[in-house]
This record gives sequence, C-alpha cells and structure tokens, in this order.
Amino acid sequence: MEGLFSILNTELLVATIRLSTPITLAAIGATICEKSGIVNIAMEGIMIIGAFFATVVAYYTGNPWAGLLAGIISGGLFSLIHAFATVTLHLDHTVSGAVLNILSFGIVRYLMVLIFGHPGTTNPIPVGLKAYQWAIPGLSRIPVLGPIFFNQTPIVYLSFVAIIFFTFFLKRMKVGLHLRAAGEHPLALETIGVSVYKMRYLGVLISGLLSGMAGAYLSIENNVSFTEGMTNGKGFIALAAMISGGWHPIGAFLAALFFGFADALQIRFQIIKLINVPEELFIIFPYILCVVAVAGLVRRSRPPKADGKDFMIERVE
Amino acid sequence: MNNLRIGKETLLLAATVVLAVIGLILYVAAYFWGFFLMAGAAVSYYFSLRIKNGREAAWEDVRGFLKKLSIPAIGIVVAIVFGGLIMLLTGYNPLKAFRALFYGGFVRNWHVSILNATPLIFTGLSIAFAFNAGLFNIGAEGQYYIGLMASTWLGLRLGLPPIIVIPFIFVVAGALAAAYNAVPAFLKVKTGAHEVITTMMFAHIARYMSPIFIRANGGDPATSTHAYVTDVIGENTWLPMFRDFLPRANYRLHIGILIAIATAVFVHYILYKTKFGFEIRAVGENKDAARAQGISIGVNVFRALLFAGFLAGLSGVTEVLGLSHKMFENLNAGYGWNGISVALLAGNNPLGVIFTAILWGALDAGGQYMTRTTQTPNSIVEIIKGVILFLIVARYIYTVLGGKLKKRRSAAVKEAK
Amino acid sequence: MTLKKGAAESRSVCLEMKNIVKRFPRVLANNNINIKLYEGEILALLGENGAGKSTLMNVLYGLYRPTSGEIFLDGQEVVFQSPKDAISKGLGMVHQHFMLVDNLTVTENIILGNEPGKGGVIDYKTARAEVKALSEKYHLGVDPDAVIENISVGLQQRVEILKALYRKAKILILDEPTAVLTPQEVDDLFKVVKTLVETGVSIIIITHKLEEVKEISDRVYILRRGEITGVHSTPDVTKPMLANEMVGREVVLTVTREPKKLTGDPTFIIQDLVVKSDNGIEALKKLSLDIRPGEIVGIAGVDGNGQTELAEAIRGLRKVEAGQVLFQGQDVTGSSTRDIIRKKMGYVPSDRHRFGLVLPFSIAENIAMGYHTDPPNIRGINMNFRYMDEEAQRLVEAFDIRTPGTNVPAGNLSGGNQQKVILAREFSHEPEFLLVSQPTRGLDVGAIEYIHSQILNMREKNVAILLISLELEEIFALSDRILVLYEGEIVKQFRPEETNETEVGLFMTGGKGAENE
Repeated sequence: MEGLFSILNTELLVATIRLSTPITLAAIGATICEKSGIVNIAMEGIMIIGAFFATVVAYYTGNPWAGLLAGIISGGLFSLIHAFATVTLHLDHTVSGAVLNILSFGIVRYLMVLIFGHPGTTNPIPVGLKAYQWAIPGLSRIPVLGPIFFNQTPIVYLSFVAIIFFTFFLKRMKVGLHLRAAGEHPLALETIGVSVYKMRYLGVLISGLLSGMAGAYLSIENNVSFTEGMTNGKGFIALAAMISGGWHPIGAFLAALFFGFADALQIRFQIIKLINVPEELFIIFPYILCVVAVAGLVRRSRPPKADGKDFMIERVE
Repeated sequence: MNNLRIGKETLLLAATVVLAVIGLILYVAAYFWGFFLMAGAAVSYYFSLRIKNGREAAWEDVRGFLKKLSIPAIGIVVAIVFGGLIMLLTGYNPLKAFRALFYGGFVRNWHVSILNATPLIFTGLSIAFAFNAGLFNIGAEGQYYIGLMASTWLGLRLGLPPIIVIPFIFVVAGALAAAYNAVPAFLKVKTGAHEVITTMMFAHIARYMSPIFIRANGGDPATSTHAYVTDVIGENTWLPMFRDFLPRANYRLHIGILIAIATAVFVHYILYKTKFGFEIRAVGENKDAARAQGISIGVNVFRALLFAGFLAGLSGVTEVLGLSHKMFENLNAGYGWNGISVALLAGNNPLGVIFTAILWGALDAGGQYMTRTTQTPNSIVEIIKGVILFLIVARYIYTVLGGKLKKRRSAAVKEAK
Repeated sequence: MTLKKGAAESRSVCLEMKNIVKRFPRVLANNNINIKLYEGEILALLGENGAGKSTLMNVLYGLYRPTSGEIFLDGQEVVFQSPKDAISKGLGMVHQHFMLVDNLTVTENIILGNEPGKGGVIDYKTARAEVKALSEKYHLGVDPDAVIENISVGLQQRVEILKALYRKAKILILDEPTAVLTPQEVDDLFKVVKTLVETGVSIIIITHKLEEVKEISDRVYILRRGEITGVHSTPDVTKPMLANEMVGREVVLTVTREPKKLTGDPTFIIQDLVVKSDNGIEALKKLSLDIRPGEIVGIAGVDGNGQTELAEAIRGLRKVEAGQVLFQGQDVTGSSTRDIIRKKMGYVPSDRHRFGLVLPFSIAENIAMGYHTDPPNIRGINMNFRYMDEEAQRLVEAFDIRTPGTNVPAGNLSGGNQQKVILAREFSHEPEFLLVSQPTRGLDVGAIEYIHSQILNMREKNVAILLISLELEEIFALSDRILVLYEGEIVKQFRPEETNETEVGLFMTGGKGAENE
C-alpha cells in the first residue's frame, strides 16, 4: 500500500504532461487534418522524420532551437507528400498514409547510415531543449498546478499554445470555418468559391508541422539523440486520442493526458516493482488502454462527414 | 465433337499445371532451366483458353493481362531511375550498384530472395485478403510474432514424426494467430473500433510479449548459455529442404516457398470462386448494398480478419520451422510492414502477391550483395522500394497522364485536318 | 403575376449565353445553346433528367468551363474561372441538393466564404445581425442560430436563397427547387420568388415539371438531349405542347392503371410498428397498414417522415422496437434480411448506387447477389459462374438492358439500365411481396414509363406491393390506395380517384384541419 502511495504524487502528474505532449501535438494535428476531410494515419512516420531531422540539425549546429525548427519544417514537408497523394492524386487516404509510414523508415535509415555511418542510434546532441526548461515566475509557485503546468520545457509550452490556438482557429477564424466546411460538405465550399483543395492541403500541412514538432520533442527535448523506432506507436495512439477526443483539440488533449497518465503510471510500476511480474507487462498497459479507448468511446462522436471521402472537381477543359 | 474439345481442354489444363509445378520447383531451387517449363505451361494455358473462348477472346485476355502488367513495370523502371539519380547525387556509381543488385538478387543469391519472399507471401496474402473485405490488417506484424512464438513453443515440445507434426504446427499456430486477431475483429463488429488502431496496438503488445516468451523458453540470461534466444526446436519439426531431392539447391533453402505459393493459389480460389469470397468482396466493395441483400457484415468482417490473422501467423511458422529453427528477439521483424507493400503492389490480388513478394525479396537479397561488393548503402534499396510503392499505388497519375496524352494526340489530328 | 408578352421584350437583356458547348469525355452535354434572360423576368428551363439543364447552369455559375461559347452579363462578356467570379458578378444559385453544412448554424452557412470581420477572425455579432435583417426584408422567417440539420427542408431552401441574397445576387438560379417540397411549401416558395422579382432580381428556374412552368414562369426554354428545341412565352403554350418538345414525341402523361376489384385477405400486414431513427427518436410511431395480393399501396410523404426507417425495418436492416410485420401469416418482424429474401419478399431500394448494386461487380454478380447462398447460383461452396452468366443473359434480354455483356461492371451502365438490373434481380425470383422505394429517381421519361409498366405487371401477377415515393405524380399513377405518412404515423388514407395532389399535400404537412374548411 505504501508503495502505491509513493507513486501517486505531483511527480506523476508532471510526468503525465511530459509523456502526453507528443501525443497531444500529433493528435491535434490529426484532428485538424481530419476536420478538413483527409484521414492521416502517417503521424508515426512524420514524427520519425521530425525527430530525425531535429536531431541532425541540433547536432551539427549545436543549437537545439534550430533543431526544433528543422523538426517542424521537415514534418511539414514530408506531410505534403500525403497531401499531394490524397488531394491531387485522389489516392486512398489510408493507403497513402501507410505508404508514407513505410517511406519514412527507409528515408531515415538511409540518411542515418549516410550521416552517422551506422543504423540504430545517433550520436548525442550537445544541448537538448530540456536545458531550456523555464519556470514561469509566480505561476510556477502555485501548489500542485505550478510544477505541472508552469515549470516545463519549451515544446510542452508550445503544445499548450497549440491547444488554445487551434481551438480558436476552428471556432472563430475564417480559415477555420472554411476548413471545417471542407471536411463536412466540400461541394458546398467549392460552390461559393473557396478552394477545397487548398483547405485540405492546409489541414494536412498543419498535421505535418505538429507531428514534426512531436517528433522533435521525442528526440531533442525528452532525450538527446535519435533512435530508430523511438516513436513506438505514439502516432497511432494519437489517432486514438483524436477519435476519443471527438475530433476536437481540447478533447484530443484530454485523451492524450489519459494515455500519458497510463504511460507514466506504467513506468513507475516498473521502478517500484509493486508486483513481481515481467516489466513488459507494464509496458503494454498503454497499448491496451488505447484499444479500450477506441472500442468504448468511438460511438459517442462522429467524424467530419466528408472525412476520408475523395473530392474531385470536374474542372476539365 | 464437343467431347473431343472438352477432352483437349482438360488435357491442356492438366499439362499447364504439371509443367508449371515442376518448372516452379526447379526454378526456385536455382535450376534456372525450369523457366522453360513454366513458359511451356503459359503456352499450354493460352491454348486451353483458345479452345474455351475462341482465338479472339484468348488473345484479348493476353493483351489485357500485359496491359495490367505495364503499370507496375513502368513504376519499377521509374523507381530504379530515381534511385540511380540519388546514388549519383550522393556519390555512388549507379551502374555498378545496379548490376550487383540484380545479379545478387536474381542469380547468385537467388535462394536468399526466395527465403526472404516466403514469409512475405504469407503476410502479403494476409493484408491483401483483408483489403478485399475493405479492412486494413496493419497489425500483421503482431500476428507474425504470434506465429513465431506458437510454432517455437510447439516445435520445442512435440515429438511426433514430421509428416504429422509439421502440418499440425501449421494449423495450430496459424489458428492461434487467427485467434489473436479475434479481439480486434470482435471490437470492429460490435463497436466499430477501427482495425488500423486495434491491430496496430495488438502488434505492439505481441512484440513486447516475445522477450517474455524467449526468456521462458531457454533464453533467460540468468540461466541460459544462449541468452535472448530460445532453444532449438526438434529436428522432426524442421521443414524439408530442397536439397533433400535436388542436390544442387542451396543448403538453407526450405520448401516453405512451395507451401506459400500453394497457399496463394488457395486464397485466390477462396476469394474468387467460392461464395465466401463473393460475400467478402461484396462487403469490401459496398457494404450497404451487400447488407441490403442479406449478406452479414459482421460475419464477413470477422471471417476476413481471422483468416488474415491465420495467414500472417503462417509467415512466422515458416520462418521458425524452415529457416531459423528457434526464436530470438526481433527475428526478422519487418515482414508485417513489407507485407503491406507487397499486397498493395499486387493490387491486393493473391496471385500477384507471389510475384511482388519475390521482387521484394530479391531487392533485399540483391541489396545486401550490392552493399558487400560495391559499398553502396543498402538503404538505397529501401528508397527504391518506397518509390515503386508510391508510383504503383498512385494509379491515378496514369489515368490522368494517359488521358492528357490522348487529348493532345486527337487535338493534333484535328489540327492536321 | 405574369407579365404581358410585350412588356418582356421592352426590357433589357441582363444575361445572354451564346453558342455554349460543353463536352465531357463520354457525352456532349450542351450543344450550341443560346439563351437570353430579360431583367425582372422568371425564366424556366424545361427538360427531362439528363437533358443537360444542370450542366448548363453549372457552366453559367462557373463550376464548369464551357468547351466553347460566351457568356454576357448586361452586354459585357464575362469569363468565370470559378463560382467566386460568378458570385461577384451578381449570380446566385440554389442547387437541387443543398450546399449546406449540416452541423453548422444558419448564419455560418450563409456567411461561409464572405465572413465579416477583420484579421481573419469572424465577427459573429455583425453576421447574425445582417442575416436577421436580410431574413426579415424578404419575409423568409429564418432563425440565424438554428443548426441546419435540425430545420425543415423548406427552411433549408430559404437559407440557400439567403446565401445568394447575402452576396447581393441580381440573377438567381433555382435548380429543381420543388423536388423536395410539399405542395404548400411550393406555394410559399413561389410567393418568395415573386417578392424577389419585385425587388429587381431576375430568376431562372430549372425544372422538369410542366405544372410549375405554367404556374410561375414568364418564358420557357425547352432543352432536349443537350439542345434547345424551343423557346416560348409561357401563356402561349400548353402542357402537351411542352411535353412534346421536351421528349420529342407524343407523351402519355399518365400510365394506365386498370382499377381492380380485390378479393381475399391482406397478405402483408404491419401492426403498431415502432422504429427508432439513428439519433434515438421514434421515427415510426405505432404504424399500421395492410396490403392485399395484387394491390399497390403508395406511401406519400415529405422526405424524413419515416420512409427510410419503414423500408429498412421491413427489409430487416433496422431494429423493430415494438409491433409486428406479418407476411402470409408468418411473423417476419426482426427476421434477418436473408430470411426475408427467402420468404419471397423483394426490395427495390431508393438509392441504387448505395443500396442496390455493387458497382464494381459484374451484372451477373449483381443479379446473383442475395441469392448466392443457394443453388443453382452455387455448387457446393463454389460459385456457379456458368449458371449466373446464363441467367443474367436471359434477364438482360427480358428486361431490355442495354449492355455490351453480362460481365460488364454495373457501374458502366446508365441509371435507367442499372435500375433495370435491380428490377430484373428482384422480379425474376417471383416475389410475392415487393417493397419499391423511389424507383424512378433521376431517370428520364422513357425509363420511368418502362419501370412503371413493370411494376404494374407485377401487380397483375398478384404481388402485394408497397410503394414509397416522394413524387406525388408517381404515387397517383400507380397506387390503388394512398397512405399519407406524417411524422411516423399514417394520418390519412385515400383512393387516388377520390382526391388530388393538393389535398394529399396538405396531409403530408400535417394540415389535417383542411377537412373542416
């Protein structure tokens, strides 16, 4: 019993935020993408790309902020392939996403060997973003909430900004309204002169930028190097978070917290060794939770009406 | 007169089968003249078609078939050119590299290509079959792991003669892998939970289960002389080798490829000739119309995911019983993922999967040979594969380009007039 | 308020389409079309389904580019790259299938693309006020905060009109506006249209209904197979003349249905059926009806009053909460679709692409579907393709289905031929009950005639037939008895000879008080 209580403390909640951040970012990205009508299962691959390029740039420039930028941009660029495939080439969204995932492994492996000479793990970067942890003066002193929300590392703060910004984006901004229409009734949007194609490209791009940021978090903020496969299914958990969150940024955040919590808990159980079982059984806990989440909650909300459906304009000469 | 015709047709079909099978066995074992037997099979098949449908229809079939092949062929060529460009840009010699790639994959290390292709055929079939039902069995990797573990477990414990134990392990291990997909299947039917997420999660779970299994079966670092590797399975459960009856075959080449090809033919039969396949395809193409005509969506989704799990599990079985004879962590991981490419490339056609799997296997084998002999990094092969995949799958480009080319041609004709 | 002939010509031409040609890969949709629209008039564009009317308007609205030809607004040539250009030049369009986003509010839909506000942020306050003002100015009575999926079809159409007015449309195009309206709503719409004309808007109405052309338009162009076959001042033409020009031959405006004396007991009975819709509310509230063999019972009603749920419940596709469905003395409530098929209950669904056919499957496979679990379509577990092809060939001939072969994917056929495939499938298994829903939606006159005659044929064979249709004309033409479905209940029963469309229309919208007037 004592062991149990030693786990439940503020530390746990701080870790929850830390572990849920990449999922939050990727899930918000996926939400925006699907709101525009494009299904994106390639978050995993985009995160890998973002994580890798963030590491490479941070390694060679010695500046982790440059690494962060590289992670974001590389994620965005890579996601444009998905946009091109689904919007312009009218390819099946799921297939394109799967292809992108496969492509990302190959690209990263090739570049790893080329740049670092060997697959596996890169050399550590000189300075990670964790070094830039910032305790907001005043707010970080609040008991319990302080250390959790106001004494964090850069990308975590960025994720908070993302939650607020994208909620506002969808509800109150013109572009957000157009994006939502593109995912619900694309023809309606097209007939009043707004380009559905552009909106969908934007949706995919946003998911790419955010997933790239999520990847950068994994490699240069939560860690100081890149390892192949370090995303470990988080891209797919983000999908589950999007669904459980009802296709809404705040919902995605709450769902991501849930998964982050499970992950944080699982790590602590491993350390504390409450029960004498192989550590792998703890590691799989978040994955099981994910399955439960999609099975239990998926009925409650519906995806955008035109989600996953191709939209083609007969603008032939 | 009619009876004579039917007699001729059956004779030709029988000849096709015999020639194809013998030719295949020989070619696979690197007796490359087996190719001529297979060519003979194709010819006799053509003649049987001629008898059945007439000369014009048979020729139409041939033309249509070649046309269908042209798309993947173009994709492969473009991808190779693209790969060559990347090699040039990063300072490697594409000509040397490609020569090594093809020589290694299709001649010198042909047996490695076949060994690589065998499990790919099974996972490719798994994913292709599920796709035909409109489902994405992305977690095939997990079912592969279950196949690995189940067949290792059984192989360590069953002392029966090979003729009994090998089929037994195939069936039971396959069934366990199928059962592993039952939860995602059930959740899909009852709650609509997307199989991409559930099978993916189960795949991660299976992967984490494998170290526990390995430790419990002879790989515990505390007690074992071979840490992180299981004990070797009994020789009675090892798959026969080609060398047992074709002396010049490579000593590692097991007959798993024949089982895989036979399975592909079987899957093709199920999908296109039986009522089960009919229902599954109807559900995959239009589940609303299927349902309105009395086809049960739930039953077919369940059947499809379970059978897909079975097929992916068999891929693990052949790996253990045929090649490694034991299990270790991350034993050739990646068959699940590559299975997706193989299936998509084959247009989700079971027979096509045979060829795309062999292509993929050859690219891998050739890639390793290329790296050893020309120092070009192996991962360029991954990029080539990615590009092939992307191009084949983006079929729309062809239709659009094809359409534009036609328009330009007809416009030019109009101008000329 | 129709204008005199002379008055129309003395006004200016606000829109002219000259020599418009629109060619698609497989079809010439518009062939050298010339149209003039005078300011302040109501112009009708008449033609049957597939004549090219919608294509022409999509060209005008900038959704398509014409293969050749010019468009002139107030004498100036204009080229539209997209609807945005057309809208900016004062064109507005109310599409047949509404371009409204279901889960957004009325206001959001109206302002979409033209939102007030600075810096990319939407100023909802101003938007709501503007929408409200506009709605009051034109007496449209729309609630700015209502969510689209919660308001009636008639109101949704008004939102579409408001969308155009919000963008200051001077020319309003209405594409088949009355297709989804009750007779009362049609009257209301025409009042709105006349109000708009008084404020200086010119109107083009696209329709295939002769009644409407006569009632509301000043002039009419007739379109047939992509070409203009005539232009008249409406008072100068009669309905038979219009029908003739529309179809190119003498049209039999009604199919003859011989009245029958029906003996015997009903074989198909529904008792107190309660069925819920997707969002959990009761779509059918204790519905009852019965049908005798050889009788056609027509369900008239506005879309969304329970028709879909009724059809699905009968077919075994939707759960029955309470009540019974009986056929030939057996309780088939909640039976599986497979059993229902086995009991010889046939189904022609309302959406042939979604529920009727698997488009990539061949004609033969589609014909076998539903009956593919029993011989002779199968032999053991194998499909008997030889039998399937022979049977399909036989049916293709019997139903005059235009196709190069039975192995052609169903998606390659025209709409009428696709519907024939469905009929062939269902009718060839000698059903004793038929559920027919919207059988002629989107089809041309020829196909409609054929399908109606086939249905009457089944009636001759003593099949009990339940017809669900949103087209009153069809209901009147085919039914022996008409039942009006309103909000999940049968509110009135008629014999077609003893009533008319207006009266039925009244009950379709719940206006039971009409009897007492």
